[in-house]
Amino acid sequence: MTFYQQEINRIRSTVYSNDAHLIAVIRTRRFINDNFEKELNLEQLAQAGLTSKFHLLRLFKKYYGQTPKQYLTHKRIVQSIACLKGGMTVTDTCFSVGFECPSSFSTLFKQKTGLPPAEFQKKQFSQSVLTPI
Amino acid sequence: MRVKVISIPVQDQQKALDFYTGKLGFIKKHDVPLSGNDRWLTVVAKEEPDGAEILLEPSPNHLEAASTYQKALFNAGIPYTQFDVDNVEEEYQRLTGLGVAFSVKPTEMGTVKIAVLDDTCGNHIQLVEML
Repeated sequence: MTFYQQEINRIRSTVYSNDAHLIAVIRTRRFINDNFEKELNLEQLAQAGLTSKFHLLRLFKKYYGQTPKQYLTHKRIVQSIACLKGGMTVTDTCFSVGFECPSSFSTLFKQKTGLPPAEFQKKQFSQSVLTPI
Repeated sequence: MRVKVISIPVQDQQKALDFYTGKLGFIKKHDVPLSGNDRWLTVVAKEEPDGAEILLEPSPNHLEAASTYQKALFNAGIPYTQFDVDNVEEEYQRLTGLGVAFSVKPTEMGTVKIAVLDDTCGNHIQLVEML
């Protein structure tokens, strides 16, 4: 057995030994992945993870390094990038990934990617035109 | 400041190109002749052709310390780097079918599933699926 395999086993037994916790957070993350475009609240996520709201908050942060809300935002932004690259308008993108307000979507998008959605899309288009065949 | 290129040390650039494109599924991005047989050789993910490039760098052939470091990591089974995949089990089945050797079979480790393969150029590479 290599050093790395020993380390995998050590970390699994020390950090990831609680199966019930893992099942709760993995179920919650999958629920977000499958429903990110809908309006989601912590109560729904706790039901999906079969645990209490505040317990879920602590567990999700512990195992994924971010809160469920932060992960949901990340998931929506990633999806919005794909929509914008595909040519969807900024407003349609905003609503299709689950944001309710185009201005807050633009603010969040800029925070995460460095550019507002319209500029991001424009840059993508100019890059694809400039890329030699 | 942006991440444009990350490098992976390889003992044979042509062999590495064959492996990373033919087996792993990357596509060649840049191939510029340098001195001797060395090339500025990069590959990118098919899904992200404008994303970060992997430089297949012949450093182990030119710097003993690089070669020593690479061998030490390899002998300890430690991956030089890792790539995200949608499904580790499917990639494992696909790659073993192509003759790729794995030092760690698909293994759940908390909130991720991992597997570790031998890139035949001196490195272990980890595949990761977020669960």
